[in-house]
Amino acid sequence: MMTDITIKNPIVQVNNLKFYYPGDARALHGIDLNFPEKQVTALIGPSGCGKSTLLRCFNRMNDLIDGCRVEGEILLDGENIYDRSTDIIDLRRRVGMVFQKSNPFPKSIYENVIYGLRIAGEKDKKVLDERVETSLKGAALWDEVKDRLNQSALGLSGGQMQRLCIARAIAVNPRVVLMDEPCSALDPKSTARVEELIGELRENFTIIIVTHNMQQAARVSDYTAFLFEGNLIEFGLTDELFVKPQNKQTEDYITGRFG
Amino acid sequence: MVKNLKNANKFWRVGEPMVWMSAASLAVTLLIAAVLLIVIMVNGLGVFWPSELHQLQLKDGSQVIGQLMQAEPTADHSGIRRQYKIANRDMYGLDFRWIDETQIVAETIPEQVLVLERIEHGDFYGELQALKHADKLQPATLDELNAALTAVATDLEQLGELEKKLKDASYKMEQLRLKELKLNYKKVAKTDLQWAELSNTKQELNTEFAGLIDVQTRQTNKLREDTAVFTDANGTEKEIVLADIVQVYAPNQMSVSDKAVFYAKKLGELFVGEPRESNTEGGLFPAIFGTVMLIFVMSLFSFPLGVIAAIYLREYAKEGLVVRIVRIAVNNLAGIPSIVYGIFGLGFFIYGIGHTIDSLFFPERMPTPTFGTGGLLWASLTLALLTVPVVIVSTEEALGAIPREMREGSYALGSTKFQTLVRILLPMASPGIMTGLILAMARAAGEVAPLMITGVVKLAPALPIDGNFPFFHLDRKFMHLGFHIYDIGFQSPNVEAAKPMVFVTTLLLVLIVLIMSSVAIRLRNKMKKRYTFGTF
Repeated sequence: MMTDITIKNPIVQVNNLKFYYPGDARALHGIDLNFPEKQVTALIGPSGCGKSTLLRCFNRMNDLIDGCRVEGEILLDGENIYDRSTDIIDLRRRVGMVFQKSNPFPKSIYENVIYGLRIAGEKDKKVLDERVETSLKGAALWDEVKDRLNQSALGLSGGQMQRLCIARAIAVNPRVVLMDEPCSALDPKSTARVEELIGELRENFTIIIVTHNMQQAARVSDYTAFLFEGNLIEFGLTDELFVKPQNKQTEDYITGRFG
Repeated sequence: MVKNLKNANKFWRVGEPMVWMSAASLAVTLLIAAVLLIVIMVNGLGVFWPSELHQLQLKDGSQVIGQLMQAEPTADHSGIRRQYKIANRDMYGLDFRWIDETQIVAETIPEQVLVLERIEHGDFYGELQALKHADKLQPATLDELNAALTAVATDLEQLGELEKKLKDASYKMEQLRLKELKLNYKKVAKTDLQWAELSNTKQELNTEFAGLIDVQTRQTNKLREDTAVFTDANGTEKEIVLADIVQVYAPNQMSVSDKAVFYAKKLGELFVGEPRESNTEGGLFPAIFGTVMLIFVMSLFSFPLGVIAAIYLREYAKEGLVVRIVRIAVNNLAGIPSIVYGIFGLGFFIYGIGHTIDSLFFPERMPTPTFGTGGLLWASLTLALLTVPVVIVSTEEALGAIPREMREGSYALGSTKFQTLVRILLPMASPGIMTGLILAMARAAGEVAPLMITGVVKLAPALPIDGNFPFFHLDRKFMHLGFHIYDIGFQSPNVEAAKPMVFVTTLLLVLIVLIMSSVAIRLRNKMKKRYTFGTF
């Protein structure tokens, strides 16, 4: 395990994290990793290496699986999110998520964006209107949909849907936005648009992105972590990791010799 | 040879026979359904069309007036025999007659023959001779008869209002009787003021009632003095009270447009009229009302119950042996014969719950049952039990078909399980839930067996909804189209005369199911459009 660089004031700290799927199948074998604030960190690795599992630990999405188990700790702003006292609802408001398959709700565009606020009990129309505009602008979707906010979100194109999901995630002002292969179902043009958006979002949010596509990791991220079979193999600045990887396995993977 | 083999191989590989077979099975199914519907429609829709009446001169010198129903070869295949409806049940004893064609000497279509629809004894076929008013005979035409009938009709209307008043009064008297029973039961002292009050009201009501009865008897007697004299095919005279005549028409004089108007009127009467003649004539309104209300009350119980049970099964219950067994049990509930549900309803709802309600709340009325007997409420509950598995299964499937991403998307934004259920899952599952409700309603509309022991009757004295407090009388017995079919088709004293009504009732039942489910399907499609991905 190699963590070549130290991150100052990390927003998320992962300490010796082990994850077991039901039946004690260990998927993560003790991960230590620090995520820098307001940067994009990419998690890469071959299928089944545990990158998605790790990502889903950050907002405790894995809790939905009956019989899974977590050891070790994840600190968000210094607090362990696996602590007993953690409010999972509050956690998920601080850690947003964008999924592989865009999943807009069968509601209007407007209602989709403010879903997080609505369930939190926000009723002030002014606040909601304002948040819809800022979030959609933040997700670079405002100009395309501002005239049809009350139409169904299901009428949008695939790329627009994914950006709507990003708008929905950032509408609750999270500290961290998790992205699980957000572009894998999109065409190249939409992918480029979302990648551009990720670059812009970095100014306000910390982004952790899982991707299969190494070029994409190289394009959008500041830091990259390479995982293999549940272990963190290498972590470093993207520019360095892709140019001169320290580890043989990393080199093999990024040069396309396996994976 | 080899090439042939290759071709044969290809024939099977492509699956040509399978395609043909599946197409054929579909065609057979559709054909059966279509034939069923066509038979019902042909027989049902033709009932009210006023057919021509024929006058036959028979070899033995007698005359017959009748409507041709059908013809078939005689038993020894020597000729054809025809079935005529000859009506005049009170004169001839039967209203259908088979006549060999060889017996017929002459056949005419007389203009003057009238059809009288009567309140009792079915139709009368014959010619008008005279009107009788205040014991004086006076020759009359059809128009004059119709004018006299209109006059009688206004009197009848007044009588009807009187009857309504009588019904109200008797309802009040019944309430009073129950109150008396209650006072007795509570052993209220005879000196108590309540008794005095009671007997006062009772006296008032009795006087009012007696007065009403008196007026009614006088008016009825007066009304029944107006009669008309008719003759049948052989010239036998028959005096008929005008008040007993529902309507008169001369089918042989009517043009096609006249007949169409007549037909429409009869159809209208079918929907709003009360049944007559042990249900073989008149309208079907109480049965239609009972059927629709039964289905609504049933849905009111089975819909929420089924949906909530399915939500628990799918969303909250921990997947395991118990849940699996419950699921299998629910699925198998749908296979239990409906009569078993009926017996369960009788035992559990009526004798169990109903009897308990009676002994707790209406002990003074015992042993006369109030809720401890069949009624709309218990029949609805029994049907709800019968249809709840359908709702559970379809709701469960609808919830299960929602992609995982939807739930995760909602959870990831910080919503609770309950918020996700209410805001995302239920709206998305609503088309599937609606499908379940449609199936449940269709099933309930077609059930007769369980109703027969839980509260359906041949003739209900009052509708389950009326103007008397508390307006909804779910303890009342009711009429039902499905039972109506069975009753008039198989329990009627005059099956031949009831036959047309069986088809009409069947047609109506099919129509009601069709209307209710098409409304529900429209609703479902609207939901589907809103909650599923359709446009990309």
